[in-house]
Amino acid sequence: MSEQSKSLVFAFVLCLACSLLLTAAATGLKQRQVRNVLVDRHRNILLAVGLIEEGRHTDAARVESMYREKIKELWVDSAGAIVPPERRGPGDLPIYVYCEGESVEAYVIPIDTRGLWGEINGYLAIDKDGSTIRGFTVYSHSETPGLGGEIERSWFRKKFVGKRITDRQGRFVSISIAKGSVAQVVPEPRRINYVDGISGATMTGRFLTSGFRDILRNYEPVAVRFRQGILNGPESRTGETNGQAVEEK
Amino acid sequence: MGRPWKKSETYRAVSAALYESNPISKQILGICSALAVTVKLSTAIVMSLALTFVVAFSNLVISSLRNQIPRNIRIIVEVSVIATLVIVADEFLRAFLYDVSKQLSVFVGLIITNCIVMGRAETFAMSNPPGRSFVDGLANGIGYGSILCAVAFFRELLGSGKLLGFRVIPDAFYAAGYQNMGLMLLAPGAFIMIGLFVWLENTLLGD
Repeated sequence: MSEQSKSLVFAFVLCLACSLLLTAAATGLKQRQVRNVLVDRHRNILLAVGLIEEGRHTDAARVESMYREKIKELWVDSAGAIVPPERRGPGDLPIYVYCEGESVEAYVIPIDTRGLWGEINGYLAIDKDGSTIRGFTVYSHSETPGLGGEIERSWFRKKFVGKRITDRQGRFVSISIAKGSVAQVVPEPRRINYVDGISGATMTGRFLTSGFRDILRNYEPVAVRFRQGILNGPESRTGETNGQAVEEK
Repeated sequence: MGRPWKKSETYRAVSAALYESNPISKQILGICSALAVTVKLSTAIVMSLALTFVVAFSNLVISSLRNQIPRNIRIIVEVSVIATLVIVADEFLRAFLYDVSKQLSVFVGLIITNCIVMGRAETFAMSNPPGRSFVDGLANGIGYGSILCAVAFFRELLGSGKLLGFRVIPDAFYAAGYQNMGLMLLAPGAFIMIGLFVWLENTLLGD
């Protein structure tokens, strides 16, 4: 066998062996990984509404039991009405409602938007008043570590708490990331709708701002219902019956 | 003399990797990851284990194949073996240590480009038998890991007053005016720590 064909054969066999090993590892571990990802998302939802403390480790079993107990996964249509699972359509949006006993405390909307280098995934928790932000988390992103990547860190995410997605008259304005410090670049009346930007991450901030605007606009019909107090009652705990009740209004 | 094992090739390889030419403090290799993952001890430990696994097994595999690997594609073969092992390690971390794996983010993947792994494969495994290469890989991984963990120990202790996530500096200290050293959480803190270790080792070893 010539030198060249020997190299080719060797390369082929090596590739085959490597790919077999990788396939075995990927498929064999998939189940555990998928579960980890799911628990991580649930943990982020709980973190967003403030049920889990920042920086403290909570084990998977505790996260899952707390999630089952306190969080209701619901779907809403473009008018903001709750859709029962069997009538779910392609345009419907998921929301996660945080209930404490019989009363609704807050709701969480998934923030899946474009970043500078890839998708940013996170959750934004809004109080039952449909306007005040209760928490923001990021569970996956591809931004530059140390710059845009800081969006996942608690010092940045904490700045969202207490901000609003509406202006003083209660009209929808979304939440934006300022270029620099809010106190310096945003006039006083609008500061409630802005958080401080990260220096060196202007583009990430811009993408996140436009993502918030588009997503929150889609969710505005739900937010309006929360602001009017329609979804804030004991009957809204059960999706099926309540879907009818809300739609009839 | 009385200690013949001191003359063995394996012993020399191990002592070189751990001490006389430690990958980080002597050869100044793998600094990028040493800066990035040493803010906390837990990430440093996991990173050290991952790298030790990769460098030991890549040495073993490459050394076993060293007589079959065609010279003209040997670097490609080495990289393929290393890359496969790194991805396997990454998959395992994602399945069993998801939180740490998220914190390590790209740095596990970047083990592929870590000069230590490639360097050992090319300079040691290609010219030594599998057993000795495996031990050499282990020793280099531990040599790298020991500096990494030592740096992380001081960075976490001084920077956040914790070790492995547990608070070790008593509250009384903070009440008395003690403050965490913010510099230690930033990359320059790691540079200073690594510099101090290089100094220490050079002083102990002499010239």
